[in-house]
Amino acid sequence: MSAVAPPVVDAAPAGRSPWRDARRRFLRHRAAVASAVVLALITLACVFGPMLLPNAFDSVDWSLMSAPPTRAGWHLFGTDELGRDLLVRTLIGGRVSLLVGVLATLVSMTIGVVWGAVAGFAGGRVDSVMMRIVDMAYAVPYLLVAILVVTVFGRDILLVVGAIAALSWLNMARVVRGQTLAIKSREFIEAARAIGVPTWRIIFQHVVPNLMGVVVIYTSILVPGVILTESVLSFLGLGVQEPMTSWGVLIHDGAAVMGAAPWMILFPAGALSITLYCANFIGDALRDALDPKDL
Amino acid sequence: MNTRYKRPLVRALVTLASAAAAGAAVHAAVIPPGTVLAARQEMVRNTGAEPESLDPAYIESVNAGEIDRDLFEGLTSTDHHSNVVPGVAESWKQVDPTTWVFKLRKNAAWSNGQPVTADDFVYAWRRFLDPKTAAKIATTYAVYLANGIEVVNGKKPVADLGVRAIDKQTLEVRTAGPVPFLPGVVAVAQYAPQPKAVIDKFGKDWTKPGNMVSNGAYVLKDWQVNSKVVIEKNPAYWDAANVQLTRVTFLCVDDGNADLKLYQSGEEDFMQQIAPGSYTALKAQYPGEMHSGPLLGLRFYALNTTDPLLKDVRVRKALSMVIDRDILANKVTADGQAPLYGLAVKGLASIRQTRYDWADWPMDKRVAEARKLLAEAGVKPGTRLKFTYNNNDYHKKMAIFAASEWKTKLGLETDIDSLEFKVLIRKRHDGDFQIARHGWVATFNDATLFLALVQCGSEVNDQRSCNRKADELIAQGNASTDPARREALLTEAARIAMDDYPLIPLLQYSVPRLVKPWVGGYDDMNGQDRYRSKDFYILKH
Amino acid sequence: MWAYVVRRLLVTIPTVLAVVTVCYVLLHLTPGGPFDAERKVSDAVLANLQAKYHLDLPPWQQYLYYLRDLLHGDLGASFRYADWSVNDLVARALPVSLAIGGSAMVIAVITGVAMGIVAALRQNSWVDVILMLVGNVGSVLPSFVLGPVLVLVFAITLPWLPSGGWDDFAPRYMVLPIALLTLINISTIGRIMRGSLIEVMGSNFIRTARAKGLPMRVVVLRHALRPALLPVVSVIGPLAISSITSAIVTESWFSIPGLGRLIVNGASNRDYTLVLGLVVLVTVMAVLLNLLVDLAYAWLDPKIRY
Repeated sequence: MSAVAPPVVDAAPAGRSPWRDARRRFLRHRAAVASAVVLALITLACVFGPMLLPNAFDSVDWSLMSAPPTRAGWHLFGTDELGRDLLVRTLIGGRVSLLVGVLATLVSMTIGVVWGAVAGFAGGRVDSVMMRIVDMAYAVPYLLVAILVVTVFGRDILLVVGAIAALSWLNMARVVRGQTLAIKSREFIEAARAIGVPTWRIIFQHVVPNLMGVVVIYTSILVPGVILTESVLSFLGLGVQEPMTSWGVLIHDGAAVMGAAPWMILFPAGALSITLYCANFIGDALRDALDPKDL
Repeated sequence: MNTRYKRPLVRALVTLASAAAAGAAVHAAVIPPGTVLAARQEMVRNTGAEPESLDPAYIESVNAGEIDRDLFEGLTSTDHHSNVVPGVAESWKQVDPTTWVFKLRKNAAWSNGQPVTADDFVYAWRRFLDPKTAAKIATTYAVYLANGIEVVNGKKPVADLGVRAIDKQTLEVRTAGPVPFLPGVVAVAQYAPQPKAVIDKFGKDWTKPGNMVSNGAYVLKDWQVNSKVVIEKNPAYWDAANVQLTRVTFLCVDDGNADLKLYQSGEEDFMQQIAPGSYTALKAQYPGEMHSGPLLGLRFYALNTTDPLLKDVRVRKALSMVIDRDILANKVTADGQAPLYGLAVKGLASIRQTRYDWADWPMDKRVAEARKLLAEAGVKPGTRLKFTYNNNDYHKKMAIFAASEWKTKLGLETDIDSLEFKVLIRKRHDGDFQIARHGWVATFNDATLFLALVQCGSEVNDQRSCNRKADELIAQGNASTDPARREALLTEAARIAMDDYPLIPLLQYSVPRLVKPWVGGYDDMNGQDRYRSKDFYILKH
Repeated sequence: MWAYVVRRLLVTIPTVLAVVTVCYVLLHLTPGGPFDAERKVSDAVLANLQAKYHLDLPPWQQYLYYLRDLLHGDLGASFRYADWSVNDLVARALPVSLAIGGSAMVIAVITGVAMGIVAALRQNSWVDVILMLVGNVGSVLPSFVLGPVLVLVFAITLPWLPSGGWDDFAPRYMVLPIALLTLINISTIGRIMRGSLIEVMGSNFIRTARAKGLPMRVVVLRHALRPALLPVVSVIGPLAISSITSAIVTESWFSIPGLGRLIVNGASNRDYTLVLGLVVLVTVMAVLLNLLVDLAYAWLDPKIRY
């Protein structure tokens, strides 16, 4: 933008909100915009596709087991080893994976950011205790917790979200704490303190926005991990149960027969990869967009 | 051929020839004349899991048993045709219904040169069943010996156990009741002799390589947990002349795909089991190497007969009738397993297979009859069934099939729950299930092992079913010394018990696996799927 | 600084105790005991089994016994691997996991940082896109897909390497597992490095340095890299821990006798002592590594003070 603009009429210059700036910066990244469009299409397909397609996701067809993709009967992605249509199952699986992915990531992100920022900013004993709690939570074997949770609380999609979030917030907290340590010694924080801004406000209005770059990056790293953790949980008995499925489960099942029936892994892995790559590009662009230092 | 291997081979051939001439039984690898052996007689075999122990008293799993049967040899042994053959005992006699006398061979020796005597067996069995040893599987095997159960329960001292050394080479065994199949029982790895002096000296560490002393065809060379167990030929073994393989490495890979990759890249010769769903493709890819013989095992679904929905035998019958076992065998599992419509599996001793009368009806007729039964029992379409299984792709596939059968043919909805294995066992034992996946494999070849599944009050009868008449027939059969009569009684007992529909029999287990073509000695009809390394040899390749 | 280090090391003890307690409670709450099996166990045998492992005592007493043994460095006897003590098992598995996980981390850090730097400096160019596409393979494809692909290519199609197994640290068995773990870790490290460096490159002091006419190499390596490494270092700790102690898929697929398999088998078999022993190990490692990470923070950003 031009540094010196000829003064126009004495209309007050319109204020520029940082969000508008961010949006403009984001839209400049063509890869990210394209990714956003693709993601939107995928989401729409997953939500509405199964309603429009003739095959049900759980109807077994013993005469058509492990069939390669074919136009007949709308089996565009082929069938799995029980004769169920893979196109519909991939879309239905997408619903679960996207839902769990988004929710669990948001929850992890929130807890992680708050925890890490508070720990880093507070320093001293509070920091020590909070980070030791993170260490402890890290050391507890995940398998045990998962089994216990299923047996005590039964099965529920929200429980899956909770269980995954409970595992994933730990690293986010670490990363955020590290950044906070660096940020809190900067001059503008000192200035805010000197003015008398209350601590919580310093943390949430000054520290956190400066963290957002790294947070966004790490969040987009979280997403694949979350989706894959969901498949491990389903395998253990927590998470989606047959006949419901998710991308993680489809990929896991497909990996076993990769040599004999490659379409079984190709399509769900393809859907997952495309989604995750899109998420990565969007994440990078968001980081650029939200970076407060960019002019 | 390398001279190092020529002499034992020549000796083997000579032994074969003289044995054939004398008409005596041959005890080890039968090598067809004219077979050219490889110079390196070594094999790598996957057993599927890390052994929980190598101490005969503490082993429980099949894979640990396989390794221990190479390291230790009991009174008898099971060869690769599932036949009971002489082991340390060269002959035995049943002197009365509950007493057997075993004559031990004079040249049986431990790997440290000490002779194997009857006292070693007495020591071993007492140690195994002594509650202080705390061997988990002792309870299962104790039932066969006189006072076995009392000893295991701590009610009687160990010295009362029905085993006695008459002299160094003679062992007397007294059984709790008539056990016509005792020679098969004492072939199991848990009934092997144990070296008292070594155990006293090393305590818990006696099973470590370097410490262990064994009397079988092999000794323990190396043991790396979660990696491999390596055994080498025991020169002091009485039949060492007929043992071809000089070194066997046991792997413990439990993932079917990883197992396959090891096989394909040449890292192993003998798979444990192929991954579900890959049978047809692999059979086409490796035609001579795929083996899938019938096992003495039953795949079934346990029905909780105390559950309100399943209390009515008509409901249970309907559930069993509508499952198309042919599709299950040929399409769903598609790995050479046979459909079952009764309790007994093919090859099981002392029992003939029974078959439900409706097994031969066309499916439409079966469905119509099943619907009628459900209606009579007052079960409406839309009722929900609860099915539990342990998380495993194979069981999952079968479960989905069953659920779809019940849905399309009877209109019943099924909630399929995958549980972790230990949790499933607990729930089955506690009766906290409606329909549960179950499987049963024989540890030795006798019908009573399977009948235990349906006997009143039996510890393995998770279905909580009870048919007094069947139990009576079983007791009569076990008391009988006439094999033909025993078979008839046990068959009838099975038929009657199964008419109560306590469980849904589905398929007979098979173990489809790939074995390299140069491994000689593999037998597809080995119903117990137990192999001794001494029965194998490597062909030149 | 040293006072800080000492304080942190001392805190290890209550941390380990706290984790052990939590896991102990969890283990006893989880349904299914170590002695549940398909066949029944007689009461007398069960009683002796429990006596052998102190399981007949009330939980709090067992806990105290365990702590006492722990203080003597004795992690107890394993249930699942009945012939071995937990000390034995851990002592054998740790070097294996360190070799595989540690090597993978070193390679991943070096490569990931390098990739991230190049991608950041060529932001939005083809180089950037390709590096990110390739580098992200490890995060976009799950390990249970990458593993089989690696084996398919390098062990079956091109018979260069074995598809799995372990032979006393023989290099050829280590290549593929290390490759798999490296691929997975590179993506995290690379992306964070890239994002972080881009952010730092936009700050005022870098602008000053460039305005001063310093060559790019100096600007990046001497000025931008240190603060940019901060978030990377944050994740190295947890990544290293999980590569060493929880590389379950890698270890299962390649049949490596490492810590991951021990912990999975321990949990599935409710092997209390094994699980607790491994938990102690992981906690100690985590605390030490995180201490190193925190010290690294201080080095990277001189304004951070403890």
